[in-house]
Amino acid sequence: MTSTRPLDAPRPAYGAAAIAGVLVLVLYLVTLAPTTAMWDTSEYITAAYTLGIPHPPGNPLFVLLGRVATLFPFGSVAVRVNLLAALCSAGTATVWFLVAERVLSRWFTLRWARLTGAAVAALLSATAFTVWNQSVVNEKVYTVSLAFFAIVSWLTVMWCDDPDGRRADRLLVLIAYLIGLGYANHPAGFLVGPAVAVAVLARRPRTVLRWKLILAAVLALGLGLTPFAVEPIRAAHHPALNEGEPTGCTESIGLKCTFSSTTYSRLMDNINRVQYAKPALSERQAPLSAQAGMWWLYFKWQWLRDSHGSQSGLQLVLALLFFGLGVAGGVVHWRQDRASFWFFGPLIFTVTVALVYYMNFKYGASQSPELAGVPREVRDRDYFYLWSYSAWSVWAALGLVALWRALAVRVQGEGASRWLTTAPILLLGAFPLVGNWRDASRAGETTTREWAHDLLNSVEPYGILITLGDNDTFPLWYAQEVEGVRQDVTVAVTSLLNTDWYPRALLRRPIVPYDATKGPAVYRGRRWPMPTTPIFSATIAQLDSVPEYVDLRTPQLFQQGTLRAVVDPRQLEYGVPVRSDLLVLQLLKDNYGVRPFYIARTTGGYVQALGLEPYALMQGLANRILTTPSPTNADTVAVPGLGHVDVPRSLSLWRSYGGPASILARGDWVDRPSVNIPATYIGTALILGQVLGQQGDTAQANKLRRTAVELGHVTRTLDLFMGPEPAPPPPVQGGDAPRSAPIPANP
Amino acid sequence: MIRPFTWPAHTRLLRWSAALVLLAGYVDLAAGGLTLAPVLLVTGYLVLVPLALLAR
Repeated sequence: MTSTRPLDAPRPAYGAAAIAGVLVLVLYLVTLAPTTAMWDTSEYITAAYTLGIPHPPGNPLFVLLGRVATLFPFGSVAVRVNLLAALCSAGTATVWFLVAERVLSRWFTLRWARLTGAAVAALLSATAFTVWNQSVVNEKVYTVSLAFFAIVSWLTVMWCDDPDGRRADRLLVLIAYLIGLGYANHPAGFLVGPAVAVAVLARRPRTVLRWKLILAAVLALGLGLTPFAVEPIRAAHHPALNEGEPTGCTESIGLKCTFSSTTYSRLMDNINRVQYAKPALSERQAPLSAQAGMWWLYFKWQWLRDSHGSQSGLQLVLALLFFGLGVAGGVVHWRQDRASFWFFGPLIFTVTVALVYYMNFKYGASQSPELAGVPREVRDRDYFYLWSYSAWSVWAALGLVALWRALAVRVQGEGASRWLTTAPILLLGAFPLVGNWRDASRAGETTTREWAHDLLNSVEPYGILITLGDNDTFPLWYAQEVEGVRQDVTVAVTSLLNTDWYPRALLRRPIVPYDATKGPAVYRGRRWPMPTTPIFSATIAQLDSVPEYVDLRTPQLFQQGTLRAVVDPRQLEYGVPVRSDLLVLQLLKDNYGVRPFYIARTTGGYVQALGLEPYALMQGLANRILTTPSPTNADTVAVPGLGHVDVPRSLSLWRSYGGPASILARGDWVDRPSVNIPATYIGTALILGQVLGQQGDTAQANKLRRTAVELGHVTRTLDLFMGPEPAPPPPVQGGDAPRSAPIPANP
Repeated sequence: MIRPFTWPAHTRLLRWSAALVLLAGYVDLAAGGLTLAPVLLVTGYLVLVPLALLAR
């Protein structure tokens, strides 16, 4: 078979593409986050730094890359990992430049016009909201995945062009290898697979008869998957982050325990994400129309994020425009460059229609807010369509260039002047750059780091802190493991206590001495004896034997020393005590009088559900559980509906908190599903303001109330606190929590 | 006629280098290495293997 590449086809514009990539990188550097951020960011920075294992499937290639990034000698650890995200996305923009320029080279003889069109593709793909927002902080592994996606796309386009020969064969084997390697970063690595298969069948169908080549490709793909071997090896060393614990080694690494059936089954459970128990595709989690609607909602965000809905009309117009331009770009692609279309067309289909069907999401967190009671994703899942919006940008750019061309041929003039006259139409491509800047930029955003410090510092030395989900847990892991802050505190998150591996990890966690220099002033000047007993009195085998739930549906008495709590299962999340509830009570029992015990104020009504309200005493951002009922006196004041407040301690902690100033400096809170974090600060200020007002400290009370109102204004959360009394903050979202065991219905 | 797929013999050195670097990376990882191991593995997976596959 001969090549379809025209003999006079220009060489790819690698130099111009590189310049475009550098400019995109500069944009990302200007808007780069200086530290960690909400959701999974802290988990993945911690995993990279400790060479640990993040949540299933464990993303071993990312962890390796991230670890290497942390070794560079500049900036903070978080900045180094954030830079990895920025570099990957700048690389993606470089590749999309090449792809667009290649399609245009079949259509345009003017080189500068081709390069201009390709630059529009790079600009659009880099500034689409989700791409930009994910590229300026390493929230997870998606920008690395996107880079693999783009590189494999370019290699496939080259394979389509290359004459049949050894080079084409090697390219195909390399493509297979990179698909496997991309999967070792994230399962989305396989997204390009169907499009590659279509391209092979369309361009060189006889390839499938070449068994040696196919075998080499399959072996290369297998080689690309081998980074998964990192997981059991690292897990056997029990790093600080060891999610899923994919090893059979209980103490230290060894050949026998590594090559055991336990290791194999745990590793496969991790890779297959068994702990999330996602339903079969036939069991739709929302109507298909709603799932397509979610894609469209986030598609609208790409061209103008408009996070507070103040420009919804313009947002819709832009979405329709860029959707239409994308369709037009697809038509242009089909007409001008059929060879690469056979790859890129199926690719767009895979990352739009097929991906919507495959992801099978519930309603989006921000989707159709008027529908009450429908199952929803805990957060907005726009990042799962990163590949979709990124690739669509290439077609949208081609469509915009087609519009430019249509105008140019209709105006009077000679040669290049017609193109120059009509070139301003290309400025449409700069809309996302301008419109998304405020919402996509993470420059100067330090709230998450401050929040982690503030919540940890609310806990006395050697305390235990019960948390609920991603945003009151992962930032704390980051602060402890990466920055070395308050490592004496044991953070126990209820959503993970339902797994088998997490209680074991808590038991293995070493007791770290309290470092007063990194703690708040309120804990200075006292001796804090270090506990000598493990966090659980149980052995690993005993922890493993804790049932997934106990079928108790009537109130039960929990008693330890002077503490007597009536646990009402009907107030618990699942209606019966599940493993996490049992283990929280076990922690309370085992550490009674040994370690201070706290429940974060982000856990909603968990204190009440466990019957611990009489023993709860608010100290800053957490409720301390005392061994006797909270007294009422000048320092510990009862607030109706909220329990007792330790006024001097909370006030002292509040003065040390960096979170409020950071939120005010940012001046906005874009991500609504995590708005409970600023709400927790606001609630704290209002409660303290009320108590101090009652005690006659009007000046202090007014200052706190003013801060609360300012915070409420900038984060648009004032409506949560409009009642006559201070309200407790809403709980944090649970995140991608493992599913608890199915619990039988109440007979 | 279907052209057979062959592996160029002169890329053997690159292939062996990739294999050795990856092996050394895994050995250091098993020994608890936190610095050399990831550097070797990233070099092996992202540089040497692609070079070995693509070399003319």
